[in-house]
Amino acid sequence: MNNLIKKFFFFLKKIGSVFFEIFSSIGEIVLFFFNSVRYLFTGQFYTKIFFLQLIKIGYNSLPVVGLTSIFTGMVLALQSYTGFSRFSAESAIPNVVVLSITRELAPVLAGLMVAGRSGAAIAAEIGTMKVTEQIDALKTLSTNPYNYLVIPRVFAGVISLPILVFIGDIIGVLGGYLICTQVLNFNPVVYLQNTYNFVQFLDVFSGLVKAFVFGFIITFMGCYYGFNAKGGAQGVGMSTTYSVVSSSILILLMNYILTSLFFNL
Amino acid sequence: MRKVKIRIKNLSKNFGDKVVLKNLNLDIYESESLAIIGESGTGKSVLTKCIDGLEDYDSGIISYENIDNIRNLNTQKKNEYLGKFGILFQNAALLDSLTVEENLKFCKKDNFKKILNDVALPESLLNEYPNNLSIGVQKRIGLARAILKSPEILILDEPTTGLDPIIGKQINSLIKKLVKEKKITTITVTHDMQSVYEFSDYTAFIKKGSISWYGKSNEIKKKGNKSLLNFINGLY
Repeated sequence: MNNLIKKFFFFLKKIGSVFFEIFSSIGEIVLFFFNSVRYLFTGQFYTKIFFLQLIKIGYNSLPVVGLTSIFTGMVLALQSYTGFSRFSAESAIPNVVVLSITRELAPVLAGLMVAGRSGAAIAAEIGTMKVTEQIDALKTLSTNPYNYLVIPRVFAGVISLPILVFIGDIIGVLGGYLICTQVLNFNPVVYLQNTYNFVQFLDVFSGLVKAFVFGFIITFMGCYYGFNAKGGAQGVGMSTTYSVVSSSILILLMNYILTSLFFNL
Repeated sequence: MRKVKIRIKNLSKNFGDKVVLKNLNLDIYESESLAIIGESGTGKSVLTKCIDGLEDYDSGIISYENIDNIRNLNTQKKNEYLGKFGILFQNAALLDSLTVEENLKFCKKDNFKKILNDVALPESLLNEYPNNLSIGVQKRIGLARAILKSPEILILDEPTTGLDPIIGKQINSLIKKLVKEKKITTITVTHDMQSVYEFSDYTAFIKKGSISWYGKSNEIKKKGNKSLLNFINGLY
C-alpha cells in the first residue's frame, strides 16, 4: 500500500515537472521578448550586421524558396487538372494556382524552408557563441548581446521573408503557367488573363503579412534557443532542433490564426 | 599596507541540487596577483564569474571598493562594473565571425596595434580569423583584448590549459611581465603550478566549494595544508 502511494506521488511529481518546465519556458520566452523590445529602443543598432543578416537570411535563401515555389506551382497545376477535368472545370486551374500560392503555399513553405535553413543556422551560431563564452566576452566588452545578436537578425527576418514570399508568389504562379501552357496545352494569354482577373490585393497582402510574422518567429526562436544553449556540441545540436521544431509548429499555428482573421472564417 | 579591492563574504552558489560554492570567504587585494587553484569542478571558474558579475550568486556578499554588494546593482551599474574587468576566457572566446583586428577594435578603436608587441604577435595576423589560428595564438590575442581596455582587474581563466609546455611557458612569462609591469590586480584560475609560482603573489586553494588554504604562493610547499600538498603532488 505504502509503495503504491509512493508510486502515485512519483507519477504526480513527473506530471508537475513537465508542466513546470512548459510554463517556465513560456515565461523565459516572454522575458526574452520584452528584453529584446527594451534594448531595441535603448541600445545601439548594428547596421553592418543587419545588412549581413539580410544577405544570409534573405538573399541566400532565394534558391531554396524559388525551387520550392516553382515545383509547388507545377504540382498544383497537375493535381488540379487531374481533379477538375473529371467535371470539365479546367478553366479554374489558374485561379486555384494563384489563390493557393499567394494565400497559403508560398508563405507557409517559404517559412518552413527558411526555418530549416536560416533559423537553424541562427540557433547554431548563437548557441556556439554561448557555449564558447563569446556572449560573455561581448558583455565584458560593453556590448549588449541583444543589440548585437538578436535585433539585427529579427529585423533582417521580418524584412526579408515578405520579399522572399513575394518572389515565391511570382515563381509559383510561373510554375503553374509552365505546366498548363507547355504540358496541358492551355492558351498562354487566357491563362495569364484568368490569373490577373481573379487575384485580389488581399490575397497577396495576407500572404505578405503572414511572411512578416513567420520571419519574426523564425529569427526570434533561433536567437532564443541559441541564447539558452547549454553544454557543448550536444547542447548546440539540441538548441538547433528545438528552434526548427518550435518555429515550424508556430508557423502552422499562426498560419491558421491569421487565415481565420483575414478572411473572417 | 595591503588594500582590499574585493571582499567576498559567505558566498554560496548552487546549480539545481548541486552545491558549487558554500559560504566562501576571500579578500582580493589591490595590485596583487592571486591564483585560485583546486580540483576540476570545485567552482573556481564559477567564483570568478560571480566576482565579475557574469553569474548571479544565491547568497552572501561580494563588495567592491565603495559598492556594498554587487548583486544589488541595476543593469546599467552592473555593466559599468563589468567594464572594470579584463577577462581572458578559458578558450580565448574571440568572436569568430570577426578578424583579429576587428576583435581588438571592439575594445579600442585606435592605438590597438601597440598591444601586439606586448603579447609578442606580428601585425600580419590582424587580417586572420581566429579559427585559422592555433589556441596558443588565440590566447595571446585574448590576453591582448583583456588588457587593451586598461582594466582595473584582470581575470585569467586557465591561461595555459591545452597548451604545450613551451607555449605555456611563453604565456606565463608574458603574463608575469604584464602583471608586474602594469601592477594590475589579477585573479588567475589555474591547474598549472608553474603559473602559480611564476606570477602569483598569493594563492587560494578551493576544496568542496570553500577556501581550504590561503597564503603566499612561495610558501605553499612550506605551509600548505595536507589537502593542498596532496593536490600539488597529484596524490588525489
